[in-house]
Amino acid sequence: MSGITLDTVRKEFSTGDEQIVAVDDVDLEVRDGEFLVLVGPSGCGKTTTLRCIAGLEDVTSGHVRFGEEDVTGLRARERDVAMVFQNYALYPHMDVRTNLGFGLKLSTQLSSAEIDDQVEDVASMLGIEDLLDQKPKELSGGQQQRVALGRAIIRDPAAFLMDEPLSNLDAKLRAEMRTELQTLQHELDVTTVYVTHDQTEAMTMGDRIAVMNDGRLQQVGTPEAVYRTPVNEFVAKFIGSPSINLFDATVERTGDTAVERTGGDGSVGQTSDGSVSQTSDGSVSQTSDGSVRLDGVGDFDYVLSDPTPVADHESVRVGIRPEDVTLADEGTTVETNVLEPMGNENFLYAQLGDQEMTARIDPSARPAPGDPVTFTVPESAVYLFDPETGEALKTKTDEAAPPGTGDQPTNRVDGVAE
Amino acid sequence: MATRDSLSPFETAPRDRLRYLRQALSRRLPNAGEGIVGYLFLLPALTLFGVFLAFPILYTFYLSFFRFQGVSDETLLWIDTGLFTYELTSIAELQFVGLQNYVTLLSDGLFHQALFNTTFILVVQVPLMVVLALLFAVALDASFVRFKGIFRTVLALPVSANLVAYATVFLLMMQDAGLVNYLLRSVGLPAIPWLTSSFWSRMTIVGAVTWRWTGYNMIILLAGLQNVPQQLYEAAEIDGANRWEKFRYVTVPQLRPVLLFVFVTSTIGTFKLFSEPVIINGGGAPLDSTITIVQYIYQTAFVNFRLGYASALTYVLIAVVSVLSIVQLRIGGANSA
Repeated sequence: MSGITLDTVRKEFSTGDEQIVAVDDVDLEVRDGEFLVLVGPSGCGKTTTLRCIAGLEDVTSGHVRFGEEDVTGLRARERDVAMVFQNYALYPHMDVRTNLGFGLKLSTQLSSAEIDDQVEDVASMLGIEDLLDQKPKELSGGQQQRVALGRAIIRDPAAFLMDEPLSNLDAKLRAEMRTELQTLQHELDVTTVYVTHDQTEAMTMGDRIAVMNDGRLQQVGTPEAVYRTPVNEFVAKFIGSPSINLFDATVERTGDTAVERTGGDGSVGQTSDGSVSQTSDGSVSQTSDGSVRLDGVGDFDYVLSDPTPVADHESVRVGIRPEDVTLADEGTTVETNVLEPMGNENFLYAQLGDQEMTARIDPSARPAPGDPVTFTVPESAVYLFDPETGEALKTKTDEAAPPGTGDQPTNRVDGVAE
Repeated sequence: MATRDSLSPFETAPRDRLRYLRQALSRRLPNAGEGIVGYLFLLPALTLFGVFLAFPILYTFYLSFFRFQGVSDETLLWIDTGLFTYELTSIAELQFVGLQNYVTLLSDGLFHQALFNTTFILVVQVPLMVVLALLFAVALDASFVRFKGIFRTVLALPVSANLVAYATVFLLMMQDAGLVNYLLRSVGLPAIPWLTSSFWSRMTIVGAVTWRWTGYNMIILLAGLQNVPQQLYEAAEIDGANRWEKFRYVTVPQLRPVLLFVFVTSTIGTFKLFSEPVIINGGGAPLDSTITIVQYIYQTAFVNFRLGYASALTYVLIAVVSVLSIVQLRIGGANSA
């Protein structure tokens, strides 16, 4: 058992005259025994990354290490990994028993009796003892999934690599398998890299999640850290369901003297109490009771009591998570488009200026379509992003900061690419 | 009972009335037409099948119990309707001999020789060709091979060669002083009597047939190979399989139905072998060692005009081919995925 390290791994494909960068210099460390979820939209390079780890793809440049060993030049069969494929890739002409034992037969010196023992063990662990003599095509999707899992487990590999293993299951089974997989991984304590495009799977299953977009690693962190303190707009948008509301706002400063640029380099320090401190320049430009207004789309008009994050910006992207919205008497008024009652909560889709926003509201509140609704958001829950680079300027600052992120004034978490 | 028309408060337009009429008509003849229409569509195919397949098959079976005496136009049956007369005449003058033809072939040395020759060619040629075709197909399927299209075309080209033309080329190449022996001698090897030794003349046939049909079978196998899901190879790779193990445990089982098809069709094809031995070895020379069953049937039927006996031979050939095919299907089809 060992951790996995990707060291500026790059994978390019050439399609005739065009060079496509599928994985763009990814640095990633998967800790020993960790369940790491690689998540991102389709085509972001997550599966290619996984295949590079597996050895099914050669990397164009960079290194893959298992523990201390550089496995970059090794073939997949020499790497001691087990993989679960999206469509399971069970051998259709072999029964379940043979499918499960095939890896041991090829890669170990075990006798047939010993292999059979292990097959029985794994089968009973997964509850598929009764299926051992059946062919894959006779099994349901969920059963095939278990066999595929068993085929990986039985090998006792250095790492499990899973490529969207649950995506072919129906919703109920997927939820069941999600917890089962987690339990299994916890018991077996094998380093696991799990690829999915489903942010729910990522959030619920990963010890840490690594968000990818366009071949680049965006952020690695615990699910909570990635949710609370995304490094950029993309991560904020991708993680969280329903996804975050994002819109443009202009920064209006109250009074000319209230906000002054601090320092030639534009740097702003922030102390723990939220007030702006002296910069290297030596000028104190603003105290904590100075404020700025964010004038956004529609009726959105928000006073930021702490202007530090936007000190350098004339305009920002404002992000509000649907779950942070509370209905109030004063605040931003929007017009209800649709209300989706879910039982325990209601999702409100409302018109804010020229775009639709989502809010998770109390089930007792039932505005009808066309009704005006007024809401507020606590400042600690407001996300702000740079409108050009998408970089996060401010993320959640309310209590319950996840361990390991509170001490980072820039709200960045570890393992950021670039 | 109120009909749609009587209920309607509106004046019915003529086109609507026409539609109601049509609907009423189709209600009245619900399914009567369907069966007949179906058979009408089948009729052209059934006619062709009847004239060119069913009739010869049945008539051959009938013939195998007779001795053919010559053609005849003896009237078997006539119908005089007054307007026209219909006459059914017999095709041939036949003498019923019962199972005599079948008894004869049990002790017919030349038939046994032909059966042996054909079986010999089959046993050498079919496995050789299938293995070669499989090797070529696997090679063409490999990711690192370049110019696949060109190789594929070149390998498959012989199948378009004219039977007589290519057999003649083989005949010329395999002469005692032909190209092949010239090449053998030039590298210091002894010449081989390709056309004059019993063993080597059969080998010449094997070579010719293999040359012509390997590419054809390769294309079929290649299509089969390309249908094997890539992920199975990847799963096998992860499971620790090397190249040979992937071929053994993934390719071959996945290709099984296609291989079976290739084996069965090649077996039938070889049993029907005719043109090559006729052209390369003439009348089965040397010493009837290359005469094939179909060639013998041809000689019996159309040279010696023993149509009854030839029919019996044909039915024995059909029986042999059927049994072989069934055996192959049983072996190859058993617990296939």
